[in-house]
Amino acid sequence: MDFLGLPHDASVNGYRIDHLINETSFFVILFFVVTAALMLYACLRHGERHQASYDHGDTWKSFRWTLAVAAAIFLVVDGPLLVESLTDLREVFFNFAYAESQPQAVRIEINAHQWIWTARYAGPDGKFNTADDIVTTNDVVIPQGAPVIIQITSTDVIHSFNLPNMRMKIDAVPGIVNRMWFEAKETGQFDIACAQHCGSNHYKMKGTLTVLPRADYNRWLGEASANSSRGFDPDDAEAHWGWDWAAYSRI
Amino acid sequence: MTAHNETGELQPIHHEPTSFFLKYLWSTDHKMIAKQFMWAGLVFLLIGGTLAMMIRWQWAFPGAPVPILGSILLRGSGGVIGPAQYMTIFTTHGLIMIFFAITPLLIGMFGNFLIPLQIGARDMAFPWLNALSFWMYALSLVLVIASLFGNLGPAGAGWTTYPPLSTNLGTPGSGQTLMVAAVFVTGVGSIMGGVNYVTTIIRLRAPGMDYFRMPLTIWGLFLTAILNVLFVPVLGSAAFLLLLDRMFGTQFFIAGSVTGAPAGDPIMFQHLFWIFGHPEVYILILPAWGIIGDLFSFFSRKPANFYRGTVGAMIAVTVLSAVVYGHHMFQTGMSPMLGKSFMVLTLIISIPSVMLVLNWLRTLWGGSIRLTVPMLFALGTMFVFGVGGLTGLYLGAVVPDIYLHDTMFVVGHFHFTMAAASFLATFAGLYFWFPKMFGKRLNDTLGKIHFWMSSVFITLVFGGQLLAGYAGQSRRLYDPYQYSFLTRLHGLNRWTSYAAFLLLLGQFVFIFNFFRTMFFVKASGMEANPWQVSTLEWAIPSPPPYHNFDTIPIVVRGPHEFANPVVLERLGRDWIGQAEELPEAMPGSARKAGT
Ligand SMILES: [Cu+2]
Ligand SMILES: [Cu+2]
Repeated sequence: MDFLGLPHDASVNGYRIDHLINETSFFVILFFVVTAALMLYACLRHGERHQASYDHGDTWKSFRWTLAVAAAIFLVVDGPLLVESLTDLREVFFNFAYAESQPQAVRIEINAHQWIWTARYAGPDGKFNTADDIVTTNDVVIPQGAPVIIQITSTDVIHSFNLPNMRMKIDAVPGIVNRMWFEAKETGQFDIACAQHCGSNHYKMKGTLTVLPRADYNRWLGEASANSSRGFDPDDAEAHWGWDWAAYSRI
Repeated sequence: MTAHNETGELQPIHHEPTSFFLKYLWSTDHKMIAKQFMWAGLVFLLIGGTLAMMIRWQWAFPGAPVPILGSILLRGSGGVIGPAQYMTIFTTHGLIMIFFAITPLLIGMFGNFLIPLQIGARDMAFPWLNALSFWMYALSLVLVIASLFGNLGPAGAGWTTYPPLSTNLGTPGSGQTLMVAAVFVTGVGSIMGGVNYVTTIIRLRAPGMDYFRMPLTIWGLFLTAILNVLFVPVLGSAAFLLLLDRMFGTQFFIAGSVTGAPAGDPIMFQHLFWIFGHPEVYILILPAWGIIGDLFSFFSRKPANFYRGTVGAMIAVTVLSAVVYGHHMFQTGMSPMLGKSFMVLTLIISIPSVMLVLNWLRTLWGGSIRLTVPMLFALGTMFVFGVGGLTGLYLGAVVPDIYLHDTMFVVGHFHFTMAAASFLATFAGLYFWFPKMFGKRLNDTLGKIHFWMSSVFITLVFGGQLLAGYAGQSRRLYDPYQYSFLTRLHGLNRWTSYAAFLLLLGQFVFIFNFFRTMFFVKASGMEANPWQVSTLEWAIPSPPPYHNFDTIPIVVRGPHEFANPVVLERLGRDWIGQAEELPEAMPGSARKAGT
């Protein structure tokens, strides 16, 4: 039964998504089983020999009854889904103000192209698109237990940055900078996948998300930054795709 | 009422043309046009299904040569599907199924055949436009076939055709251009059909055929036609702008650089596409709802429960379908305010949908159920539609959609609604009206085998898709097992593929039944009204004469008059036709007789 169920959740807030999915499944399966059972029972109980009742059900009572049942089902099944979704969005998934205000937050810019993810870290100066930036390919390193804010775009077609184990996903669209944030609960290596069909090698547009303990992450950051300053080429325009973090104005 | 009395004069009886060209090719007879749609639709349904089998093969046995089909279609690569070919296969599968198989069958075939017959008209309002609508569709089929042989490769951008992938940047081949052109052309045909259906239903209803006496099938086709007329033009404009981008170097859907250079916007395409695309789901399901709503009443031998409520719920869903499309775009960076609004509107659709299901259940309840082949298919439709509708809840809410978006869960969801429900309803209707179209009945036993194979395996196939999506498998992956978190799904996918192969096998039972009945069974001895139902088309011979009705009927009651004790007492049967006078009516006993 290994194929059943959600992939491992390594994020701090993914449980909210899992909870909503599983809660909805409970009501949906219950409603479906009851309805299907009624349908089956109605068909098996009264065969050809039964005299059908002459009833158009075309009354106000009928209308009120149907509407009441439909409304009750809406309240029980859709209600929690709606209310909890709105709460989760306000408290977490759309709450960028919280993520941005955390001093230990990590900011990463990602540029997607067929069929590679390039990631950019601001480096010691805290500014993007400067000589000390760290640029990686198909390899995103983050610390455990800190909000990771990602701004993302694409240079060719639409991709979608998908972190199944973090329960996060956002489209990378040329001409637009999108954003998302999440926080890793566990250390380890996880898949980065592309969720939007982006050409023949879409299935190979794969990266690795490495979650390190904070101290290890800081060490990695320092080493990588020193290396990238040495490799910086001011004339290579292609490599200078970063943007000013503060310039982000969408939403 | 004066307008109604003119309907007979407005529709003079023409003689049937005798030349082959006018009788079979450029026919303006709605019944012949329906048959043209039927043949083309069934052929393309088989082609689309075969392409699906190749996708399933690839997921079961990635990189292994495809048996039988591989040696015909993939000679160059030794029968193995490559990543680029795989793109073409799923793109063509999706577009063929939606635009060139289900649409022509549910709307082209049933719409043309049933609208005049069930409302008591001699033909469509615009017979010539009707013929043109079919030939636009036929032209689009030529473009689809041609696209497979395009220079620099066939189409491959998926059925959603998102730019920039669908522009020359991502798919430079002329195949993609031809495919977009095919969608445009078939869209023009759909609009012609839609205008014709709407006009016919508004203008040519027989005297006494009030809107609330129309069969639910007609309501479904009517609402679908309205959606077609309103929203296919939006798709057409998106396709047209995309063609300009591809052929004349415009940049409607090609973004400038991140620095903000003035240029187009790829997201604009998605807005246009889904403004059409969400109603399209209902375009394909409304006729199915109508058909099964009627069939439940016919084979429960009981009036459709709360007919007006069912119609009202269908209208409500139609209206709502126009304002929820944003749920397809939650992950595009849509503003949170918009996302929340679309979420609320989307979830509201569940209220009319539940009302519809309740009415169906209450129609079945206390009936005198006949489990005929059409009835079985109708029940199957309700079952799979239940799964399809309910799985939509997860995707209509922003939070679960973060995880489920673009996974196989989405694929499973829309296959349950657009593929399974539309597919089973198409067969429900086909088994039911085949006697009307051809004057003979399809074999019952073969029909039942076809039903069980279709409904069981279709549920397993699309259920397998839902499970794979829940476990995280993205859609459109040539080889899902490249990702370490998906390797565990190989077994599930392989079993799902076996179910798919059996589903295809089951369709050969239908093909055999269809050809056997069509060409080897004599059309004689069938009762005029084999299902004993009350709608107008069953009051005339099968197949109907060229002009349908010798005299335009005068309708005196609704479409579901079953189990009426007065009728039972005076006629000795449990049904009475929509235009049939009740004999020796005693004062006050005939319900709503005359107008
Ligand atoms: Cu990609
Ligand atoms: Cu939709």
